[in-house]
Amino acid sequence: MGKKTKIKINYSICGDGNEINPQECLKCLKVCEPALFLLHESFGVEEENPYDPQIWRVTPLYPSLCTRCMKCVESCPGEAIQVTW
Amino acid sequence: MCDNCLKHGTAGKWYLNARNYSNEIVEEYNLREFLIEQYKNFEQIAVRKIAGFNGVGLGYKIQMPIIGRIVKHTAEKMLHSTKPPTNPLKAEGHIGQVVPLDDAIAILEHCAAEPIIQKYCMCRYMHRGEKDACCINFGVMSEIIEKLPRFIPVDEKFQLTREEAIERFKEHNEKGYIGTIWYGPYPYINNLCSCANPECAGIRPRLDFGINSIYKAEYVVDIKPDFCEGCKECIAKCQFDAINFDPIRKQSVIDKSKCFGCGVCLHACKYDAIGIHPRKDFPELKGIY
Repeated sequence: MGKKTKIKINYSICGDGNEINPQECLKCLKVCEPALFLLHESFGVEEENPYDPQIWRVTPLYPSLCTRCMKCVESCPGEAIQVTW
Repeated sequence: MCDNCLKHGTAGKWYLNARNYSNEIVEEYNLREFLIEQYKNFEQIAVRKIAGFNGVGLGYKIQMPIIGRIVKHTAEKMLHSTKPPTNPLKAEGHIGQVVPLDDAIAILEHCAAEPIIQKYCMCRYMHRGEKDACCINFGVMSEIIEKLPRFIPVDEKFQLTREEAIERFKEHNEKGYIGTIWYGPYPYINNLCSCANPECAGIRPRLDFGINSIYKAEYVVDIKPDFCEGCKECIAKCQFDAINFDPIRKQSVIDKSKCFGCGVCLHACKYDAIGIHPRKDFPELKGIY
């Protein structure tokens, strides 16, 4: 058992209605082998229609499954993902 | 037979009892509003805090000495809850079971409540970003999904007849997706999913974190060594790592304790070496679901 993997996403670049819209990008979700990222509607950001939310963000949900392959870091167009351990 | 069958099965399997699909239960538990609230926030359920805990970093939380056991116990208690659901932001009483193709056809033919629809798999969208119309919904659930545009297939038929639903399910099953049937919430059955590991949010807790979120099927697969030619096709199909290749005998061998009984490997075998049998025929697997 090594150290815990920490995955950080910079939300001022990706999601929450900023530069990169994760719903159009989806690169980290597709490239991740254990599929540990979760795409969900943002909290606390004003939505016009709760039945059809438009503002989304990506959360690294299960970092314990991370294989540290760094594919998500390489594929991110805004360099918003940071993986450390 | 599992506990669910004894309580809700009327001398059979729980998912083959048409009462569990009926609108009576919907009215009794007032599920219409509950389900729309739940599916409106479906992707958020894992990241929302409930009593100070959410699903983020679940693997590490479970590894902690005492807290891990509490988290696991609380999660299982919530999933196995049989009380009327109160909070739509919790996955209360949302427990599933793997079903092989024949049982799924029986469900679609005789039990499933009209209207029947297909929708995009939510798990595959939120974990993989793919839109794949492979979930089949019945009854009130179908009416609810109509209000949520992100789940409605764009270029495909949305409302299905029973025959079309069976056809669709067969396609997915042959592709290698595992058929699963879900309570949502207990005891109302409204989902027949075609799941894949690791995207499925229902199978993953059991395989990766040991939380009993899905039961194994009432069946188990067995390989007849006399017929197996060792082509390894079935190994590629198995999503539970239950089939291995024995390099000395040059044959596939199955670990029945790992087999979930989904029957997907049956489509791969060209030599009729794989058979599916009721779980109760094997004394070593009795009561293990």
